[in-house]
Amino acid sequence: MSSQNLVYVGIDLGTTNSTAAVFDGDKVTLVRNAQGSPITPSVVRIDARGNLSVGARARRFLESDPDNTRGEFKRLMGTAQALRFPASGAEKRPEELAAEVLRSLRKDIEDQLGFVPARAVISVPALFELPQSSATSEAARLAGFERVELLQEPIASALAAGWTIVDSSGSWLVYDLGGGTFDVSLLETRDGLLRVVGHDGDNFLGGRDFDWAIVDWALGEIERAEAVKLSRSDSAHAATIRRIKLAAEEAKIELSRVEQTSMAIAGLKVGDRSFDLDLALDRATLERLCSPAIERSLAVCRRLLAAHGVPDGGLTRVVMVGGPSVMPVVRRYVSAALGVPPTEGLDPMTLVAQGAAIYAATAGLEARPAALEPLRGCKLWLQYPAMSSDLTPHVVGRLVDRGASGSAVATELRLTRADGLWDSPWISLDEEGAFVAAVSLLARRPNVFRVEGKNATGGAVVIDPPTLTIVQGLTISDPPLSRTIGVATAGDDVRVYFERGAPLPARRTFTLQTVETVAKGSKESLIKIPIVQGEYDAAHLCRLVGALEISGAELRQTMPSGTELELTIELDRGGRMSARALVPGSGQVFEHVAHLLVPEAAPEVLDAQLVAIRGRLGELRTDAFRRGLAGVIDKLGKVEAALVDLALDVGAAKGGDADAAQKARRSLIELDATLESVELDRRWPELEKEAREAVVYATIVIHEHGLAHEQSLFAETARAVEKARMGRDPLELQRQLRLLNRLAYAAGSRDPEVWKRRFEHAAVDIGNTTDPAKAQTLVKEGREALARGDGEALRRVVQKLWQLSPGDPEQRRLGYDSGVR
Amino acid sequence: MSAGPADPQRRLADNPFYVLGLRPECGRLDVEREGQKLLGMLELGLKSAASYMTPLGPQPRSADKVRAAMAELRSPDRRLLHEFWALLPPKPEPPRPQPPPKPEHDLEPFAGAFAAHGWKRP
Repeated sequence: MSSQNLVYVGIDLGTTNSTAAVFDGDKVTLVRNAQGSPITPSVVRIDARGNLSVGARARRFLESDPDNTRGEFKRLMGTAQALRFPASGAEKRPEELAAEVLRSLRKDIEDQLGFVPARAVISVPALFELPQSSATSEAARLAGFERVELLQEPIASALAAGWTIVDSSGSWLVYDLGGGTFDVSLLETRDGLLRVVGHDGDNFLGGRDFDWAIVDWALGEIERAEAVKLSRSDSAHAATIRRIKLAAEEAKIELSRVEQTSMAIAGLKVGDRSFDLDLALDRATLERLCSPAIERSLAVCRRLLAAHGVPDGGLTRVVMVGGPSVMPVVRRYVSAALGVPPTEGLDPMTLVAQGAAIYAATAGLEARPAALEPLRGCKLWLQYPAMSSDLTPHVVGRLVDRGASGSAVATELRLTRADGLWDSPWISLDEEGAFVAAVSLLARRPNVFRVEGKNATGGAVVIDPPTLTIVQGLTISDPPLSRTIGVATAGDDVRVYFERGAPLPARRTFTLQTVETVAKGSKESLIKIPIVQGEYDAAHLCRLVGALEISGAELRQTMPSGTELELTIELDRGGRMSARALVPGSGQVFEHVAHLLVPEAAPEVLDAQLVAIRGRLGELRTDAFRRGLAGVIDKLGKVEAALVDLALDVGAAKGGDADAAQKARRSLIELDATLESVELDRRWPELEKEAREAVVYATIVIHEHGLAHEQSLFAETARAVEKARMGRDPLELQRQLRLLNRLAYAAGSRDPEVWKRRFEHAAVDIGNTTDPAKAQTLVKEGREALARGDGEALRRVVQKLWQLSPGDPEQRRLGYDSGVR
Repeated sequence: MSAGPADPQRRLADNPFYVLGLRPECGRLDVEREGQKLLGMLELGLKSAASYMTPLGPQPRSADKVRAAMAELRSPDRRLLHEFWALLPPKPEPPRPQPPPKPEHDLEPFAGAFAAHGWKRP
């Protein structure tokens, strides 16, 4: 194996366009398609004869035959929305369409390299949710890839930029404005290691919003000039609006180079009327139309910088990625807002694919399929970083056949760099047949090492593999999780499994308890374990990304309420999730039951939610005006402005636009969370009072009953409570109060008097338990324990009584009908 | 969303410095180098990497723990917290050995003899 043979493949599977790149350990090369372009439109067409075309050939039909030509399906990844091609009668899921694009890129790579790549890295937006990532992996599998890893797009951009720029140390911001998504990431480079400090973004902000802003402006102009009212919510106008949108997109791109252009379309039809469109559009108008969307992106940047304490002027560089980021207006706004000009000389259209290819080297994901060569020589199992920022990394190895002996078995090894300027001493294998050696690398290039062996008598032994290659350069630490993942409980709380920023891969197991009895054999009874993603304490404010369901029909024995379940959630490096539930009582295991689908967004439901959110906004605004809370009024004003866009999306959803429906669904959750934070703001005086009381109570309880470690944790938490109170951060204060209450609860539980009070409280409510007869027996047992002063028995009774509590039905509904606590 | 307060014993036992076999004075590069080496050794199932020492005694080491430890020590804020907890020496105080029996003859070797021959005395 030599460095020339190493090939790593990276693919940017974009909303609008896709790109592939290959990295040979030294330089990155873009893969050109049959048309000679490195950029392949993410468009698929199936004609009446069932012929399928991808890329530029398909894109040509986007205007003339939109029903049978599909683009922007990336935005529907992870949903159950199948897309129809009426001419052929075909129906394809979004991941099947993405697989066609990947298959086309794979063919281009084969044409360029002479072999079909088996492994690759595919980039995904940093804020992709689990179902979307899972659908991307599925697309790669359908396209024939043996193994893929997913990489967050901003990390890919930063890696590519870091590989190009010699002095890359400092804090970076990657501003990635794609066709349909906006990601911003704060990164830090030190000692050649790239670390992701934080992410933020908007899953539904992109160049497409500029296009729609132009379309809405054009519709206004048409109404004025032609007295024709076109509506995005009217499915009869969909074809005409699609044509206007294509013209808007072209005009937008054109205005990156010229000061003025025109949107001209002949023969637009609305009902029986036909007219020609000819609108002049200049940069100033474009800027006015796009500035709200750009401002939205900048607000996200500022939020990210503030969250990580980066002061004004604290950034070393800004890397701009994505087609819309070439627009002069976007670059100007970003430069002015962040105080540092965007780094020049990087291609925003292909940077992500380049970074993905470099990352494939970091992950040791060689593209070439593994050759099935017969064993020759003494076989070694080696572990080393395929790419390292360290100049002296370790190589670890072990004999595959440790039991073997004789002259063909090595007892000593030596590593020699191919340039002959460095070699290791002879290293003796230990009793496990293993060795650990530090090697010396030349900076920013592939380093090939020969592996030589000697047997016990000093004779030469052929080693398999005979060489290993380590590329020295900027590397990325384990990719961090972009959003916190947990299980929604029946109390509308979240049991956190993985915090945002946790390194991947990761696995965690927690014990949960069922809320109600599930009868063996009953198809009707079901335990639902909702898995959510988001940063809020309340489950309903987080997004549902999967649900694990255990039906009575699958059970070997009935599970009474309060049964313990061990739920394990596992995430791989690309953020793909698998879940496994074990019922220790019966030993039954439920696997692969997480249904990873983005929830449906029915237009009627969206409409009802829109009405509800308007009502809530109205109440909060009236209250804010009455109290004269300027900050709150300002915040609500932003929600109101967002509601205008939301209403447009709900309208488009009614017209059959599934993408708009998904956008509306997410916007509704986000606006709901904003209103929740306003309500928390409004509740601030109460919250502060609650905090004071909680600290006083916890101080007494922990002082009297707390163990040493509880006291030190209490001191830490009390400081955090004070910090949140001083910083007037209601979300953080609420979070710290929960911790404080948990500590006080744990310490208080050592006081026998507390258990007496808890028992009396639980005994009052036995009529509402899931099993009143059992509850009655428990109360009797509790009274007996009280009478004989058996505190331990009383504690057990109270805990069993709690397990019989059904919880608040409203909270349970909010917690996505969770059947666990 | 929030995780509950960690058990302090666990916190000490899982301290990233102990997991990686490093002391709080180590540099950032040492964290990467040692972590990468341990991950390789664990992947190969080497016994020498299977456990690590803490003031609470030896603890099992896993690839998940090593990766989590590396991630913790990459973040300067989080590292500071762990530095405080890792001030205790990783090895527990060994039980005081029984005084050796008096030699029956006067041939006690000189103090540095074992070390000079590369032996470590208990």
